[in-house]
Amino acid sequence: MAARDIVAAVFCCIGTFFFIIGTTGLIRMPDLFTRLHPSTKCDTLGACSVILGMAVHNGWSWDLLKLVFIMCFLLLSSATCGHAIGRSALRRNIPYWKKKEETEDGHGA
Amino acid sequence: MDKFLTAVALVIGLNAVICLYRAAVGPTTQDRVLGVNIVGTKTLVVVILVTYILAENYFLDVAIVYALLLFVVTVALCRYLEAEGWKEVR
Amino acid sequence: MTSGRAFGSKLLLFFLLLVFWVVLTASLALHELVMGAVCAAFVVTLTVALLGRALDPRITPGVLLRLPVFMVRLVWEIIKANLNVAGIILHPRLPVDPRIVEYRTYLPGDLPRTVFSDSITLTPGTVTVELKGDVLNVHCLCPYHEDGLPGLERLVAWLFGVKPPGEVKGDG
Repeated sequence: MAARDIVAAVFCCIGTFFFIIGTTGLIRMPDLFTRLHPSTKCDTLGACSVILGMAVHNGWSWDLLKLVFIMCFLLLSSATCGHAIGRSALRRNIPYWKKKEETEDGHGA
Repeated sequence: MDKFLTAVALVIGLNAVICLYRAAVGPTTQDRVLGVNIVGTKTLVVVILVTYILAENYFLDVAIVYALLLFVVTVALCRYLEAEGWKEVR
Repeated sequence: MTSGRAFGSKLLLFFLLLVFWVVLTASLALHELVMGAVCAAFVVTLTVALLGRALDPRITPGVLLRLPVFMVRLVWEIIKANLNVAGIILHPRLPVDPRIVEYRTYLPGDLPRTVFSDSITLTPGTVTVELKGDVLNVHCLCPYHEDGLPGLERLVAWLFGVKPPGEVKGDG
């Protein structure tokens, strides 16, 4: 029983670490398109990792299938959400940040 | 284990509050949508953690509905933002 | 033959919906199963009436069998992507050189292209921002990130059983 809790705790710690990375990226990155990267990748892996930890904590039951379903749906939906946000920004002709012109700093405000 | 899960949920909630900064000051509307989407993902994870802190497994159904709703809201909002005749309001 | 395939696709959708019902109700009691079968049959009928077909014809049992292997390899790619992006974000000088490149894919049909663009979004430093015909606009965080695209394309082609043409060239 204790071993399972330790594995769950390790997964939760990994997930929280990636959540913190994603938040840092969201605040630090210079423009919308670069902000899409931490939000779609780090957030998805963080959420999936915490859910996996909870699945280990839960053990074999019907709730496990629900957790797996949420995880699969999150993998699909966050990629699609990132794509939708990027496409609407592209259609609105929002300029994207290049390395040459260093006009904006990390906050992009 | 309950205390540990509560701590994890608190840290993730704090992250969500920091993400609200992006939703509040984001220079473009798409930034705000992105911020709201991320806050939603973190809320989803907190709901799942609360399921196990309170040991009430019907919260998982709430989490499923939350995941489906978050996806629909983001995609619908983006389609609305890219429609013709929409002006950027700052 | 076409009617046989259409029936097979309806049956596949019916069983997928039934499995989803069982996951949601979390019981295997007989009355739940009967209710689920009725609802699944109703949804299949509604789908055929509204969309004209039950499932995309590219979803076959073979694809569903290959899906777990594909998921495992994709998750491995995602973990590598995350470590890479985490390194970039935590780097004090933020070494990004973003650009939007065009990538022409050989994958046919909507479904393989959708899966390909979703996979691109989840793998190192690349986000698909537009998909028009067979041209994908991919936003790369660093220039070296676009080297990973052909391997991913081969993976998706393997999932859907598409033979790659002789020469594959992604123009940047």
